[in-house]
Amino acid sequence: MTVIAIDQNLCTGCQECTKICPNLAIEGLPHQAQKINEDKCVMCGQCVQKCKSYVSAAEHGLNAYLGVRKERDLPETVLEPLFAAYNVTHIQEVKRALADPNVYTMVQSAPAVRAAIAEDFGAPLGELAAGRLAAALRKIGFDKVFDTNFAADVTIMEEGSELIHRVQNGGVLPMFTSCCPAWVRYLEINYPQMRKHLSTCKSPQQMEGALFKTYGSKLLNVPAEKVFSVSVMPCTAKQHECSRPEMVDSGHRDVDVVLTTRELAWLIKDMGIDFLKLNNEKFDLPMGDYSGAAEIFGVTGGVMEAALRTGYELITGKAIPALDITAVRGVDGFRTAEIAVGDLKLKVGVVTGLKNVKPVMELLVAGKLDLHFVEVMTCPVGCVTGGGQPKLIDETDFETAYKQRISATYDHDKELPIRKSHENASVIKLYEDYLKKPLGQLSHKLLHTTYCGDKKHH
Amino acid sequence: MANEFGLFVTTDTTKCTGCKACEMACFQVHNEGRNKVGRTVGTITVPVTPKLYVTVIPTASMPIQCKHCENSPCRAVCKQFAISKIGRQIIVDEAKCIGCKDCLVACPFGAVTLLPLYSDGQPARQAGSPDGKVAASKCDLCAGVPEGPACVRVCPNKALSLNDIDEERKRKNIAAAEALAVVNAGAPERRAL
Repeated sequence: MTVIAIDQNLCTGCQECTKICPNLAIEGLPHQAQKINEDKCVMCGQCVQKCKSYVSAAEHGLNAYLGVRKERDLPETVLEPLFAAYNVTHIQEVKRALADPNVYTMVQSAPAVRAAIAEDFGAPLGELAAGRLAAALRKIGFDKVFDTNFAADVTIMEEGSELIHRVQNGGVLPMFTSCCPAWVRYLEINYPQMRKHLSTCKSPQQMEGALFKTYGSKLLNVPAEKVFSVSVMPCTAKQHECSRPEMVDSGHRDVDVVLTTRELAWLIKDMGIDFLKLNNEKFDLPMGDYSGAAEIFGVTGGVMEAALRTGYELITGKAIPALDITAVRGVDGFRTAEIAVGDLKLKVGVVTGLKNVKPVMELLVAGKLDLHFVEVMTCPVGCVTGGGQPKLIDETDFETAYKQRISATYDHDKELPIRKSHENASVIKLYEDYLKKPLGQLSHKLLHTTYCGDKKHH
Repeated sequence: MANEFGLFVTTDTTKCTGCKACEMACFQVHNEGRNKVGRTVGTITVPVTPKLYVTVIPTASMPIQCKHCENSPCRAVCKQFAISKIGRQIIVDEAKCIGCKDCLVACPFGAVTLLPLYSDGQPARQAGSPDGKVAASKCDLCAGVPEGPACVRVCPNKALSLNDIDEERKRKNIAAAEALAVVNAGAPERRAL
């Protein structure tokens, strides 16, 4: 399945994308159209964010735009410029599901989506729009508007427990996070022998998807085969992740289709919804309930901070002294910290920007990476800068956008009544009523996976 | 003539990759008010109409844009007086342009083209006709933008610069004089002549 493509008629061969591709997957000669080597592409979509070679009236003719839009299966309400590097859209599949009365649609959105989507409607960079996002999804017609953040809290329960288990039982360390599918793919391609270092946890998207068609289907009394599971992601690699052969633990495809933040903005416009004028609404319970810890998954260091907020209490039985763990915040490509968790000195690392992971992996291969837990995110400062996020026209805005999207995320964390994953009442109920306990039998079946190596999946 | 020559943007072709970041920025800055273009691509609802044109040849790439000629042939040929010199820039008044293409013919660099006009996200109409209106489009050095030309600011390779040719000539003159002074100081046989 092609996720990221370069239009051979539009690419001018400037090679700006090849400079930033973290796995050297873009090939070609200067001033000639570039090609993506699909065996190497991790599908992060940073090339999509970078590309400026657009369908031009002056160069390609006035009607060329209509042809390219049609070829890419975009709605006719899309008016924005189309560029050589793009991600394949699934918006029409979602529209068909929404229009089908026999289909029950459930949607989830990643934390980073609410930190940026308003930008595509002209709002200032990084304007938080959690309530309007929920309202828009409901107005579009999704039967249930759930939230990936719920599963992010579940991820912390599972991954935190896994880390403690590994530390206390001499398991493989350091353990690496597995929520970023581009990073998982990078590891599978370049360091397959290191796969055992990956957490066995699925990403929040895949956990939420697996729960939609099991727990959710049971709760709502809707047969799983009627459920169409959509996720809205800041990420282009998520479409690849949901198509992996492993991701069918509910007995069905756990996530049917991924829309990027940009594609959701198109869908909102296509439905004639005035996004900026929407009133705030809440996500549906129970799988739309979330803590501040889940929200910060969208920024680099966030998964680590969320895990520490919960891990500290699970290990020591005491509340963590300060909720804001600034030692793991920041935007440096690789940063480490030592956190005292009772008697244990937990050594953690945070990598952001996939290009920065190579030296860290070389340390690991040489047996010199003395850490317990490492978070890796592919995109520049985490998911808020994902390949599926609103695309900035001018690169001079990158810094401001990054900063504003990060602060929107931390602000939202701060304003939420619950800021620790294990205190999310709906997560507690999920374990009481359904999963029983983290790392339990059902958790293992639905929420964990063994990444079976990644050749080409179709 | 000190400091009266028209300014213009020049390209270091060893740095330009032909990425078109300059075209996008040019369009953005000229359509922020008129067509409510924001900071992201999703806010664009009209065709991208830049005022400079990235040109790729086998040996190089560079944006081609108006040099703000002193004896502007475009201004000379425009029968509508739509092109004038304002300050140190040659500016097109799009409202006056009838799309006759004389300026396109006159410009030796191809720095002018006709592009559809849009305002408030809608195509501008010709008077008494449903047909869309076009106008000559060329670099205005981001007239009215305090930070100066957007293309220069956004180039990821710092390949563009705003050229003040008179200043450049003086810099070159001084450098040449200094070089000659050094040569002469170190050559006593020349002093003897």
